[in-house]
Amino acid sequence: MRVPRGLVVATLVVMAIVVQTTLFGRLRVVVPDLTLLVVILLALTRTRGELVLVVAFGSGLIVDLLGSSLIGLRALVFACVAYIAVRTRSQAEIGRFATTIWAGLLTFIGLVLLVVIGTLFGQTNLVGPEIGQRLIVVPLANMILAALLSGLVVRVVDRDSGIFGYT
Amino acid sequence: MLNREPPGRRTLATLVTLMVVGILMMTYDVRSQGTGLVAVLRTGTQTLAAPLQKTAAFVVTPVVDLINSLANVANMRQENEALRQELLEARAELNAMRDLAVRVELFEKIFDLRAAGSDLGRTVANVIGRPDAIDGALIIDKGTAHGIAMNQPVVDPYGNVVGTIRSVTRWTATVVPITANRQGLTVIVGEQEGSLVAQTGSILMRFDSFSAREPVLAGDRVLTSAGSLRFPSGWPVGEVVDDGVPTLDGLTLLVRPFVNPEILRLVVVLAWPPDPVTAGAEPTTTTTTVPEDGSTTLPGDTSTTGGGG
Repeated sequence: MRVPRGLVVATLVVMAIVVQTTLFGRLRVVVPDLTLLVVILLALTRTRGELVLVVAFGSGLIVDLLGSSLIGLRALVFACVAYIAVRTRSQAEIGRFATTIWAGLLTFIGLVLLVVIGTLFGQTNLVGPEIGQRLIVVPLANMILAALLSGLVVRVVDRDSGIFGYT
Repeated sequence: MLNREPPGRRTLATLVTLMVVGILMMTYDVRSQGTGLVAVLRTGTQTLAAPLQKTAAFVVTPVVDLINSLANVANMRQENEALRQELLEARAELNAMRDLAVRVELFEKIFDLRAAGSDLGRTVANVIGRPDAIDGALIIDKGTAHGIAMNQPVVDPYGNVVGTIRSVTRWTATVVPITANRQGLTVIVGEQEGSLVAQTGSILMRFDSFSAREPVLAGDRVLTSAGSLRFPSGWPVGEVVDDGVPTLDGLTLLVRPFVNPEILRLVVVLAWPPDPVTAGAEPTTTTTTVPEDGSTTLPGDTSTTGGGG
């Protein structure tokens, strides 16, 4: 029985949000942005660009609704990051190292956009005391996770065990 | 490389549409101040996510504790020593307080005094997560089923002010710390009343008072004021960082909060105000008190509630 791609993507996003808000929400050493990473990695799959953007927007909206900041802020930022990811995904497919760097850069862009747009809308809670540190640590953590998970995510979503094996 | 359709105009059009929708949503949220439809959506999403989050938190808590302990292993010896010292001091303080309690009890008997019933209800809750790496809010494992309501004040186990409840579901609630809140908090330092606001990119908060007349010293405690509508009065918030002298413009100081929300594992939600209905009341609401003898009160006897934070 083939599981619909939409269901797989939805499950991935929900899992990412739950793990982000519980496990990574309480760790003080490793602080990735798993939801943003899943959105970025979805761009590497065969999912159509428009759908990746819609999924990114929806994921961001859920994180907004679970948090304390403005609704639509992360939705907007995640959609922008997803668009850049879709436009640049060919550069990420060279190998695992390229994927890792690409995911880290996109995470950094996402965080900067979040802080800039959030500040414009008066979200002081996004520019906390450790923002400088977070702008470095979060992309680094996402790079490590991207190196570990990118192949798996693409294979699970596309249901093709032969792709993104980096062999 | 995968064989896919290259992104075209339709992708760009989708992005533009989503951006417009996102900006409209943010504007609506700002305009509605998080109430109405936004509050319903937020509560609905959190209600759906709560069972998953609580289950995940139950599973990952040992892992989180292990990783955080490993990260702090270098400091553990020093921390144990400090905690031992703190325990000794606390025991000495407890003994002193017992003596005081006995004296108070004696005086209460002599003068036939009874407690006014001003003790606040307290709900202890675990911090089970945070929305993401940037958001300063905390998710706790208690909700309306445990008596928690919107806008209730939250303190740490030592009674230091943490923040307020932003949204609540049946089983979970979201706490916005004062360090991550756009709203100011009305506080007092000595006799000076003013507002305390979070600063961007800094753990320190800024205290502004336009009516200050006396200088303030470094280390002075900052307490919640009776003028605050979000917190009961007299709860510790932080301490003044540097000495300050009032000028023509008033007094501006930096305050270091006692609580670091990043390392909180337990919080206490205070049932304040005792009647949550009055918390959401409009600033102009008036309440009339009827004396026990049944006589009606004069218009001048009405008290006004509401106002700034």
